[in-house]
Amino acid sequence: MTESPHAAPRRRLVVVGSGMAASRLVEELVARGAHATHATHAITVLGDEPVAPYNRILLSAVLEGTHRPEALTLRTPEWYDAHGITLHLGARVLGVDPGRRDVMLVDGTLIDYDVLVLATGAIPALPPIRGLVRMDGSLHPAVHAFRSLAECEHLLAAIADTDAAGHPVNRRAVVVGGGLLGLQVARALGTRGLDTEIVEGAEHLLHRQVDTAAGRILARDLKKLDVAVYTGARAVRIEDAGDRVALRLDNGFTLDTDLVVLTAGGRPSTALARGAGLEVRRGIVVDDRLTTSDPHIHAIGDCVQHEGRVTGFVPPAWEQAGVLADVLTGEPTTYDGSRVVARLRATDLDVAVLGDASAEIEAGGELVEVANPIAGSHRRLVVREGRIVAATLVGDLSRVGLITQHFDRGTVLGPTEPGSLLMPERTTTAGSATRALPDDAEVCACAGVSAARIRSCSSFEEVRDTTRATTGCGGCTSAVRELLAARALSPYVSTAKGN
Amino acid sequence: MTQQATETHCPYCSLQCGMKVLRRGRTGIETAAWEEFGVNEGALCRKGWTAGELRGSRERLTTPMVRDRATGELRAAEWDEALDLIAARLRALQADHGDDAVAVFGGGGLTNEKAYQLGKFARVALRTSQIDYNGRWCMSSAASAGNQAFGIDRGLPFPLADVERTDVLVLVGSNLAETMPPAARHLDRLRERGGKVVVIDPRRTATAERADQFLQPVPGTDLALALGVLHLLDARGAVDEAYITARTTGFDAVRRDAAAWWPERVERASGVGGEELRALADLLGDTAGQGGRVMVLTARGAEQHAQGTATVLGWINVALALGMPGRESAGYGCLTGQGNGQGGREHGQKADQLPGYRMIDDPAARAHVAGVWGVDADSLPGKGPSAYELLDALGTSDADGDGPKAMLVFGSNIVVSAPRATHVTARLEALDLLVVADIVMSETAALADVVLPITQWAEESGTTTNLEGRVILRRQAVAPPSGVCSDLDVIAGLAARLGSPIPFSTDPEEIFAELGRASAGGKADYSGISYQRIAAEQGVFWPCPAVPDGETPHPGTPRMFADSFATPDGRARFLVPEFAGAAEQPDADYPVHLTTGRVLGQYQSGAQTRRIRSLPDEGAFVEMHPMLADRIGAHDGEPVVVRTRRGEMKAPARVVATIRPDTIFVPFHWVGVNRLTNDALDPASRMPEFKVCAAEILV
Repeated sequence: MTESPHAAPRRRLVVVGSGMAASRLVEELVARGAHATHATHAITVLGDEPVAPYNRILLSAVLEGTHRPEALTLRTPEWYDAHGITLHLGARVLGVDPGRRDVMLVDGTLIDYDVLVLATGAIPALPPIRGLVRMDGSLHPAVHAFRSLAECEHLLAAIADTDAAGHPVNRRAVVVGGGLLGLQVARALGTRGLDTEIVEGAEHLLHRQVDTAAGRILARDLKKLDVAVYTGARAVRIEDAGDRVALRLDNGFTLDTDLVVLTAGGRPSTALARGAGLEVRRGIVVDDRLTTSDPHIHAIGDCVQHEGRVTGFVPPAWEQAGVLADVLTGEPTTYDGSRVVARLRATDLDVAVLGDASAEIEAGGELVEVANPIAGSHRRLVVREGRIVAATLVGDLSRVGLITQHFDRGTVLGPTEPGSLLMPERTTTAGSATRALPDDAEVCACAGVSAARIRSCSSFEEVRDTTRATTGCGGCTSAVRELLAARALSPYVSTAKGN
Repeated sequence: MTQQATETHCPYCSLQCGMKVLRRGRTGIETAAWEEFGVNEGALCRKGWTAGELRGSRERLTTPMVRDRATGELRAAEWDEALDLIAARLRALQADHGDDAVAVFGGGGLTNEKAYQLGKFARVALRTSQIDYNGRWCMSSAASAGNQAFGIDRGLPFPLADVERTDVLVLVGSNLAETMPPAARHLDRLRERGGKVVVIDPRRTATAERADQFLQPVPGTDLALALGVLHLLDARGAVDEAYITARTTGFDAVRRDAAAWWPERVERASGVGGEELRALADLLGDTAGQGGRVMVLTARGAEQHAQGTATVLGWINVALALGMPGRESAGYGCLTGQGNGQGGREHGQKADQLPGYRMIDDPAARAHVAGVWGVDADSLPGKGPSAYELLDALGTSDADGDGPKAMLVFGSNIVVSAPRATHVTARLEALDLLVVADIVMSETAALADVVLPITQWAEESGTTTNLEGRVILRRQAVAPPSGVCSDLDVIAGLAARLGSPIPFSTDPEEIFAELGRASAGGKADYSGISYQRIAAEQGVFWPCPAVPDGETPHPGTPRMFADSFATPDGRARFLVPEFAGAAEQPDADYPVHLTTGRVLGQYQSGAQTRRIRSLPDEGAFVEMHPMLADRIGAHDGEPVVVRTRRGEMKAPARVVATIRPDTIFVPFHWVGVNRLTNDALDPASRMPEFKVCAAEILV
């Protein structure tokens, strides 16, 4: 990092966290030139994971095998270096002292700040299962959390583990938590060849996003993909059972398994903020300028609570990063919430959730829905004042791109349009309808030749020479031959040339 | 009765189909197939077949016209009178306001010889920096991306027929089945061979009907698709690491950037479902993984955006990551639009360039070209403003100084083809002197103070450079009507009257030889090409440098990049394109995307094709999806009004299920839609955003 002797004193900006929100904030600041030697900020990023910032939301894709782990890296340490940004990896922050304006790392290092950004993300929720955590505070060896690359790689290693005969040691897995992440992980484990089961405490899968009927369709989809589903059941106890472990459920079932993967959601990581005396409810409370109760401390991403809401998705975190970059560079921008689009990323499971359907229905939204449980699709749009304000699409994602556009842009639709959006797209089939073409139908666009003119010719050569059909792109050649053949068969047309 | 047939090329698009011109009767001409010419093998579309009809048309201009100060009407004038008047007014304006008070506006349809003479005329006879041309609105984004990534800009770095031998062809924003129909034969042959065609377009066009995969993005989001494809290719380990290491630089930054473009993010930005993107990435990855070839071609749909350069760079990155550029029948190319879109951008009618694709701010380039011209290098003006910026400044006067007060227009119908056309028309009207040289009374000529009638393609000789970089020869087939002169005559006549320090030839072949010397050593080196060689070899691909007497002539360069790229270190550049989307996004007042384009039966501003009776001229229309038509109560064939922040138009609705329901399409061949288009410019190419803006539509 280079420091110009002539530069005015720069504000020391310290970012705690190096996840999706933090790395996006740094990129946004770089895009605004706030990092440059003569510019406004000296930036330090403190990441507690030992690896360069990566795309966390693709961990389940790594688990499934569609993404190489190396392809997740968002920015390399060299990139930070080249932009004059100090990146400390494996740097866990012990505490923040808002009075002194410094942060202390676990190794005792003190780092002063003028402006602090907390982007500490979320930590996986540990369900109340007896035997989950051992006396020393570590997880039971068969239990895997799934939030970091290290945890993902740990799980992959467990899957790859083989015995002396070369057989996999771990063949069965139970995924605890049937939300978006749980479904992705379960599908990934299934694709990897493990006998996989999901345990979800609520009455149906994805209960925060979809209704019962859609949840049932998902459960059936998963069953078809050889993933068993237990809903309305909580795991209460884990015990060693020979080579395996036994996961006891509160409905009396006991699932024998090799691996237990926790995907029971996360909660905002607020310990540092609490320790610093900031206002914290479910998350770190921020205002429309993403400022905490301390004017020198901002917060973004999964760790924050804005207008009473905690999100847990990347797009809002990135929008907050963009707004905060503006705030830090003196722009009057404010954050007024985000439209959330949640998509399940797992092969053969089609789910898109736009906005908050139940809240919008309560707010007076009308429901337009098409469900076909037999075909396994359930799609509903919530429409208010002509706009799609929420949608859940399960099992059929046709037009998901268009519906998302209408949702994001607040397009005012016509009264029949929401219904049309859920109907199958009209397809035009040409096929051998050629023979039945009306006389005035254009057969050759390049030369502008109608079916009638082609029918008036007796040979392909005559068509070519007199009408110039087929002499452009050549695309009508087969249609012309077909029309001529039909003409030859027709009893009403003499095949002999009259004159 | 057989007559002498002249082998020449079509007057319209960049495919420059080979055709024969036959004389009919005393003055008429007719076009016929030239089967032996390899690019189109005798095929022509209806525009080519009917190209001869303007000959003898009452719409042809056959006498100069001068606007009468008393009546405000145009009246016929003699050539000498018209040229004397122009020269006198130009001299007076330059004396009062400086050399830059006079601007020159050229066209991508002008022959190489005309484009070259026009640039030389502006720099030497007028000493003005104010020259640019309508090619800026054509493929300039692809040109700027090609220069940045490969160090050179040749639309296709390989012959068009290579398309047939690739394995997957990706067409981004090209409707070649309608804009250059004979080229579609290559798609059919590719598919007969078992190859796949991918088309990316907001409309399911005639080209898309030939596709194995069709992706229908929101206008202005092709870059997001490119980033998503690259993301998936890297995710599955399908990038060609050996090629990237050996032949490129900059991949790491591009790869890291693409890591943030997972399919569902792309879906939200582009409106293309994640599964469709995965299918495309799988097709490309599988093909490359089996040693197959991938070819990516962009056209105006990807390029005519405020992010056009970035969009093309995004697709070049995909081609480079797969290791394709430089392999035979693979790589990246741009399908140029205008007839001489390629040659027209190489020989000095561009604001920042001198002949041979040399940069005007390069001292060595200035010295070389000034030497060929026989003038002092210091006398050459510097870089001028780009086409839209030039027009935007016409007749203005502000703190930064005065804009040009006079403009000479050659081969361009600005009133129809410029973006935000109402504003541009007002700028034209603010000029003290507007001179338009054209074959017909175009909408722009109708505003002029002096209109000069000029020869059309079959009445003159000259070279063009087709979309492949193949220099070809259009031959004169008939004498021009009396009273009509060539642009070359106009330039020479004005240069002499303006006291040019050097004479200007009017002989195309002589000018071509000089152009060759001026281009020698430049990127687009024509010095080894002659009319004889063009005739003998069915055209010659540049670069083709001259060799010393006695040595084997350079064969020309049909295929580029086999061993190295035209960058200083010979490596192609991966550059990071930041996705921003369209400059103007729909909102509550302007809720739909408006995109523009072409129809088969018309060409560009329609100045020629709208006057040919055999071509259908049904006027503009507003294409929309049935869902949108239902929303606003529009019916097929009935008029609708389209309005943007810049203007409005009325045209019949055409209700089709082949367009995105959030997008409307209007062809631009008629006065109308370009009053609505956005003048936001690409920062690198200065291309206006013709292809997308926010619009309101009502019945």
